[in-house]
Amino acid sequence: MLSELLYRLRALFRRKTLEGELDDELQFHLEKQIDKYLKSGLDRPEAVRRTRLTFGGLEQVKEECREARGVFILETLIQDLGYAIRRWLKNPGFALSAVTAIGLGIGVNTAVFTIANAVLFKSIGFDGTGQIVYTVGSEPGCELPCDTGRSYPDFLEFSREVKAFEALVAYGFRAVNVSDKSAFPEHYMAMEMSSNGFSVLGRKPLLGRDFIPADEEPGAARVAMLGYDLWEKRYEKAPSIIGKSIRVNEVPTVVIGVMPPEVRFGVDMWVPLIPVGDWQKREYRGLMMFGRLVRGANLRSAGAEMETVSQRLETEYPFSNKGVGIQVLDAKHYFYARVRLIFVALWIAVGFVLLVACANVANLLLAQAVARSREVSVRMALGAGRWRVIRQLLVESVTLSTAGGLVGWLIANWSVRAFVVAIPDKPPGLEFTMDPTVFGYLAVISVGAGILFGLAPALRLSKLDVHLTLKEGGHGATAGSRGRYLTGLLVVSQMALTVMLLVGAGLMIRLFLSIYRSQMGVNTTNVLTMNMDLPHEKYPRSIDQVLFYERLQARLQALPGVEIASIASSLPGHDGSALTYELEGAPPIDPRQRPHVGGLMIGPEYFRTLDVGLLLGRVFADSDGQAGVSTVIVNHTFATKAWPGEDNPLGKRLRLASEDGTQPWLTVVGVVPDVFQNDMIRGQFDPLIYLPYRQQPQSSMFLVARTRIVPGTLGNAFRREVQALDENLPVVALRTLDEDVKLRDWPIRVFGTLFASFATIALLLAAVGLYAVVAHWVNGRRQEIGVRLAMGATTADVLGMVLKQGMRQVALGLGLGLAAAFVLTRVLGSLLAGVGQANLTMFLTVALVLVGVGMLACAIPARRATRVDPVVALRCE
Amino acid sequence: MPDQRIDLPQGSLDLLILKTLALEQQHGWAISERIQQISSNVLQVQQGSLYPALHRLERRGWIKAQWGVSENNRRAKYYALTRTGRKKLEADTEAWRKLSAAVAQVLDAV
Repeated sequence: MLSELLYRLRALFRRKTLEGELDDELQFHLEKQIDKYLKSGLDRPEAVRRTRLTFGGLEQVKEECREARGVFILETLIQDLGYAIRRWLKNPGFALSAVTAIGLGIGVNTAVFTIANAVLFKSIGFDGTGQIVYTVGSEPGCELPCDTGRSYPDFLEFSREVKAFEALVAYGFRAVNVSDKSAFPEHYMAMEMSSNGFSVLGRKPLLGRDFIPADEEPGAARVAMLGYDLWEKRYEKAPSIIGKSIRVNEVPTVVIGVMPPEVRFGVDMWVPLIPVGDWQKREYRGLMMFGRLVRGANLRSAGAEMETVSQRLETEYPFSNKGVGIQVLDAKHYFYARVRLIFVALWIAVGFVLLVACANVANLLLAQAVARSREVSVRMALGAGRWRVIRQLLVESVTLSTAGGLVGWLIANWSVRAFVVAIPDKPPGLEFTMDPTVFGYLAVISVGAGILFGLAPALRLSKLDVHLTLKEGGHGATAGSRGRYLTGLLVVSQMALTVMLLVGAGLMIRLFLSIYRSQMGVNTTNVLTMNMDLPHEKYPRSIDQVLFYERLQARLQALPGVEIASIASSLPGHDGSALTYELEGAPPIDPRQRPHVGGLMIGPEYFRTLDVGLLLGRVFADSDGQAGVSTVIVNHTFATKAWPGEDNPLGKRLRLASEDGTQPWLTVVGVVPDVFQNDMIRGQFDPLIYLPYRQQPQSSMFLVARTRIVPGTLGNAFRREVQALDENLPVVALRTLDEDVKLRDWPIRVFGTLFASFATIALLLAAVGLYAVVAHWVNGRRQEIGVRLAMGATTADVLGMVLKQGMRQVALGLGLGLAAAFVLTRVLGSLLAGVGQANLTMFLTVALVLVGVGMLACAIPARRATRVDPVVALRCE
Repeated sequence: MPDQRIDLPQGSLDLLILKTLALEQQHGWAISERIQQISSNVLQVQQGSLYPALHRLERRGWIKAQWGVSENNRRAKYYALTRTGRKKLEADTEAWRKLSAAVAQVLDAV
């Protein structure tokens, strides 16, 4: 096998030498034969004649030898390629338009694939054996999969009892502050993980050692494993960091190792999961789990075992575990369930763009086929087989699409860079680079596109009736009804695909607009915000946290340029805390059925800082939240929902749910207008309550300040004030509220822009395609038009005839596309929550756009048709 | 007088070439001469058709080619049997014998 391959390659690359050798060999034979005849007494001319006779046709023998060498296909392929390149160089206009169309299609495809590749395939770093499975928990009121974790005591029972796992690993996420001498204190995402985590995944540290069981003993010296990125950025890849002590949330921690760059899990570093504090509580469900299946176990058996244990826990610990379920998923479902949808939608969109581009070029090629039918007929008449002709034509189209692939690569490169700039908070570990997988994809779609758009024209041309074409002087292909049918079909499908893309883009744009039109309910200009997370280790008591934030707020307030500053647990546009409550006087309800409400812990100055006026009552005073003064402010939606029909809810009381019912009653002291937090649908506000932060202190808080000067200029001053109070405390998310709002909406902005640009590209391609087809149709009918004009047809008649021809296809494509879009949005509707349904207005808008663009595309050739001079048209030919 | 020479059946040329080369390496012309001599001029080998066959056998790895010097000091391409070629020759010879015996049997029986 190998020797044959070598032989063929040698034959390919040493063609000249081999040709020479073949000549020599045959020459030698002929001379020997002539010698033989001469020796037998013949004269030279007769000897030469006989030799030729006995040998056979020299050229034919050579050709057969070449064929026997086995490189025939490759060699002719190279010939075809040379021919194709010469041909396109001679038709630069045609080649350029085809390459541009295909390049756009391939470019957007490759760009989307690069992004999908980074998100779906590269970033995870978990193993790919399929033996690792993941668990997701479920809670009452939350549908699977809802990423609820399980508690550490539960995890211990699962790992002890479930036999389907070789090993089970628990992990949780935790934001940590890292401080040391090498750089400013920073906020990082850490994973707390059982010490066997890396070994179960089969991952070894790049430097240092793996976790050992002793590391997760309560009271063990704290250790940490660094992620590659953190090691590179913070410690400049210094190997000496191993064994050094750094401060993680103020606790001295020894760095024991660095993981290789491909192991990320979306975090910056790892620490062992030490079961102390909250982890000992069965109701503290913060742990995810993954495990390696034993031989013979599968998803189903592992799932069944887990469920058995989970059900037993439900009956044994009803208080903490009632209604808490578990499910086992494989990596594909676990990781990709959420993001897959958006990429599937994007992929469909760019697939459509590529199809439109292919249809476009196929039509261009079909139009060209007329001009080529004579050439092809001659070749076939000279003995080229059908397959040979098809191959030649396919090589031509693949040459075009490969050039398109190069253009597409440039486009993809540029788009991915634009995408990276457009996304503000790149999750750690995502790298949007073009790796071999991407290049493989690029190569496959480049060649595939060429075959796709080249096949139909090639098949048509190869089916020519040679005699007829040669007789007719080259009007064979595409003039027939089948050719027209094919062209029409391509235009109709282009239109239909474009309509679907337009509807998709329309949905995204509508969402986009609804966000920009809707009111936040606050004045976002000139507001600077920042966030901190006080490490529990340094600020163990609530009062420590309250004191820190009060001092910081006072310092900020005193800065020149700051009008007013406030403390808040969250910002407009962000999630509030999830609280459950009961109303005073309402009939008692099952604790698990209590209504949910979002809550914000705020300082007295919050509403003034954000320019939110009161509807009723008062804002918090400094005394609110002190012992014995339990108050609450509710938003308008809450007031109308909780006490419908009541004009004045002031003085009403509610209390937050707690396990033991010891929460104090909270008196409503104020009602404020609705402010947008993180509600599902813009413009419809969820109920919200505000609590004095002293009543519910927490470690992570925002500071919000209204400034008199450009807020961005105060950033460093804010940082200095924080550092003055605690030099090891990192500042997170220091930005203006305007920036923050923009950041929040980036997915819609970015993906909306993507969809809109895909739809625009498709619309342009389809319009150009329609134009080309109609123009070609008009060209082919100059004579007929001339006759009609000569017989008295008016300009309007001719205009109408051409428009009717083009618009018939537009109308057909529009109808098909709208029907498909209607079905598609219904099918995807449930998945695309928040995007909303396509309605009549949307369909009408899309129809108008398409008809308008279609008219424009037809109008140019139609006008040209009206200018046909009957005399000239009749004379030509 | 009818022509006594017969055309070679499909595929048998390969076998003849391999057999010819089993003794010693040869150049193309010598191979064709030898086949004709040994078969007492009964087997007609169109000389030109020999070369595609040689190239095909070389590609398959059954024979290998080498440039050498001929008896009258000319540069000539010599073909020699490879080890796999020798195995192929043995197998084909065996198959051919069986086939011709069987054909002869059928022909005689009727």
